[in-house]
Amino acid sequence: MGEAIVVTSGKGGVGKTTSSANIGTALALLGKKVCMVDTDIGLRNLDVVMGLENRIIFDVIDVASGSCRLEQALIKDKRFDQLFLLPAAQTKDKLALSEQSMQTIVAKLKEQFDFVIIDCPAGIEHGFRVAVTGADQAIVVTTPEQAAVRDADRVIGLLEAHKISSPKLIINRIRPQMMKNGDMLDIDDIISILSLDLLGIVPDDEHVIRAANQGEPTVMRPDSPASMGYRNIARRILGDPVPLMNLIADEGGLFKKMRKWIGFR
Amino acid sequence: MSRSARSAPVKVCDLVTVKGIRNGLLFVLADDVDIADVLGELEHKLEGQTKSDGTITAYVECGQRKLTDEDERMIRKLFATHGNLIVGGFAGAPTASSLRRKDPYVFKGTVRSGMIIEHDGDVVIIGDVNPGGQIIAAGDVYIMGHLRGSIHAGASGNHQAVVAANYFEPLQVRIAHVVRRAPDVRTRPAEMEFAYLDGEQMAIEQMAYLAQFRAKMS
Repeated sequence: MGEAIVVTSGKGGVGKTTSSANIGTALALLGKKVCMVDTDIGLRNLDVVMGLENRIIFDVIDVASGSCRLEQALIKDKRFDQLFLLPAAQTKDKLALSEQSMQTIVAKLKEQFDFVIIDCPAGIEHGFRVAVTGADQAIVVTTPEQAAVRDADRVIGLLEAHKISSPKLIINRIRPQMMKNGDMLDIDDIISILSLDLLGIVPDDEHVIRAANQGEPTVMRPDSPASMGYRNIARRILGDPVPLMNLIADEGGLFKKMRKWIGFR
Repeated sequence: MSRSARSAPVKVCDLVTVKGIRNGLLFVLADDVDIADVLGELEHKLEGQTKSDGTITAYVECGQRKLTDEDERMIRKLFATHGNLIVGGFAGAPTASSLRRKDPYVFKGTVRSGMIIEHDGDVVIIGDVNPGGQIIAAGDVYIMGHLRGSIHAGASGNHQAVVAANYFEPLQVRIAHVVRRAPDVRTRPAEMEFAYLDGEQMAIEQMAYLAQFRAKMS
């Protein structure tokens, strides 16, 4: 019996899909059998980020409506035999997927996979409720911005109402330099407002954009800082006690790395 | 319950009697005449009111008469359109116990964005109140944590209500009808402070002063 984890944020554009793709791939990299489910019906992206867009034949709506079997809709990743994607439909809208059918699909997937990573749409309406309904755990993605933290806070409240207790937090797009200067919300500030366990931090990284455009998850490139962040997150999900990044020292390290990478010194 | 058929003439001044009580004014409405007469007289009395600073809580007592919803609405409307009176209730003068009758509501956890806690008494939060979270209490609000949200204490007109927090950094505080918002420039949160009404002004003071403030009020 696997574990279903929903990746959510409330606000759009903070990196839910990127995080889902990278966590899924990183778990597969560590030898786990993983299925990623895109629930953003009408605005599917996860297949694009994974570079699997051209292989879609059936989608999650086809499964829900009984037009095909679950196995037919699952797309095997081109890099890993253990990694699968259940794509969203692009032509329907969110209401096409009901909470019951989502629960059934996730329950079936949990029998076959170690991890089911559910990519949640932005917002807190029907799409959110559907994405959350079958999940055992939740990962809340936020960026060091006031608006993203506000929305994350709202979503955490809603997750608690959905009986998903103690979601885990990922702080994405950290710019160590700006954080150091106090121009960006501090990691400690964010944790103190949201009062959640920190699952990991991901620095802002140009490579993420490049990789997403190429349909190649960032974690495949071990030398990028964001890749390290996601790999650590995957290890922590498996219960590996990766010492929770010593933020200060890590910031320095990242800072140095970033400078080298940007081209200073 | 119209009793206008009564033959004995009533003196107009008996229809509505106004008394000053500790918490405001008590309006005693005669219960043995037609409600329309009483409302007319009430309006007449209220028209004589001059606007003065601050608001006064008006308690309405109507003896044996059972007010219909319609009557209550009419009375509220009269008070709302004349002078600066706030209706405190229709059950006569408040007794000491009725002023703090409800048990405090204790909430354990974080009050997150989008959550509203409403209670007809004091509210105690064991945790933080985040921006976008809201607490509306008829009594005091005490927060054992970091206050970053919006609080309305004394929501039904209790001017003596206070808002207290370990870390006091609210977006907005209201006590009775007085609103105060956070300064636009972010400052460090104050530790162990509470907000109270000093006349029409909201004041913030160290928690140590709370006992003194309470003693002064009672």
